[in-house]
Amino acid sequence: MPDNWGYVFAAYALAAIALGAYWRRLARRVKSLGGPGRPE
Amino acid sequence: MTRALGWLTALALIAGLGAAFGYAPREAAQGNVQRIMYLHVPAVLTAYLAFALVLAGSLGYLFTRRMGWDRLAVAAAEPGVLFTGLTIVSGSIWGKPTWGTWWTWDARLTSTAVLFLVYVGYLLLRGMVDEPDRRARYAAVVGILGAANIPIVHFSVKWWRALHQPSTILGPEPSPIAAPIALTLLVNWVAFTLLFLYFLARRAEIARLEDSHAG
Repeated sequence: MPDNWGYVFAAYALAAIALGAYWRRLARRVKSLGGPGRPE
Repeated sequence: MTRALGWLTALALIAGLGAAFGYAPREAAQGNVQRIMYLHVPAVLTAYLAFALVLAGSLGYLFTRRMGWDRLAVAAAEPGVLFTGLTIVSGSIWGKPTWGTWWTWDARLTSTAVLFLVYVGYLLLRGMVDEPDRRARYAAVVGILGAANIPIVHFSVKWWRALHQPSTILGPEPSPIAAPIALTLLVNWVAFTLLFLYFLARRAEIARLEDSHAG
C-alpha cells in the first residue's frame, strides 16, 4: 500500500492548528479576565 | 503550577511526535498512513475522559448545588468537544486512503458524530441561559444524558456490524498490538491526557474568573 504521507501530514497539521489555536484562546481569555500574567 | 503543567505537556507532545515519526515502525498492511493512529486514538480516549468529568461535574452539581462542580463540567466539556472533533477529522483523513471514503454512516462514526453534536449542544445551551443556577441545572441534565452515549460509541463496533475495526485497546481480549506501536500509543496517550489537564486547568480558571466578575 502507498504511504500516503500527504494524509498523515494533513491530519497532524490540522490537529496542531486546532490545539494551538485553543491553547492561545485560553491564554488570551485568562489575561483579559485579569488572571495570572496581566499587569494590575 | 499550570505553567509547569504547560511545559510538561509541551515536552510530552514533542516526545509523542518523536515516537510517532521516529520510533514506531512502518505498519506492514497500511504503510505510514497508520501513523495517524497515534493522533486519532489518544484523541478519542481523551474525549472519553473529558466527558466522564462532565458527568462527574454534572452529578456533583445536582447533588450539592455547588458551582465548583459546574465549573469542572464546563471546563471539561469544551476541550472534550475539541478532542472529539479531532477524532472525527483525523479518522476521516485516515479513512480516505484505507477505506476509500472520507465518511460512511457506520455505527462507530455515526455514534461519535452524535457524541460531538450532543456536547456542542451542551455548550450552546450554556451560552443561551444567563441565570447561573438555571444554566448549571440545565447543563447538568444534558451532561448526564450525553454521557450515556460514551459506552454506545465504544461498544458500537461490537454491537453492530461496522466498517470501523474492533477495539484493539480497552477491549476484553489482550491487545494484539506490537510492543513499539503500543509504546508509541501510550506516550501519545499520556501527552494528550496532560494536554487535556492543562486545558482543563486553564478553562476552570476562566470559569472561576467569570463567576467572580459576575458576582
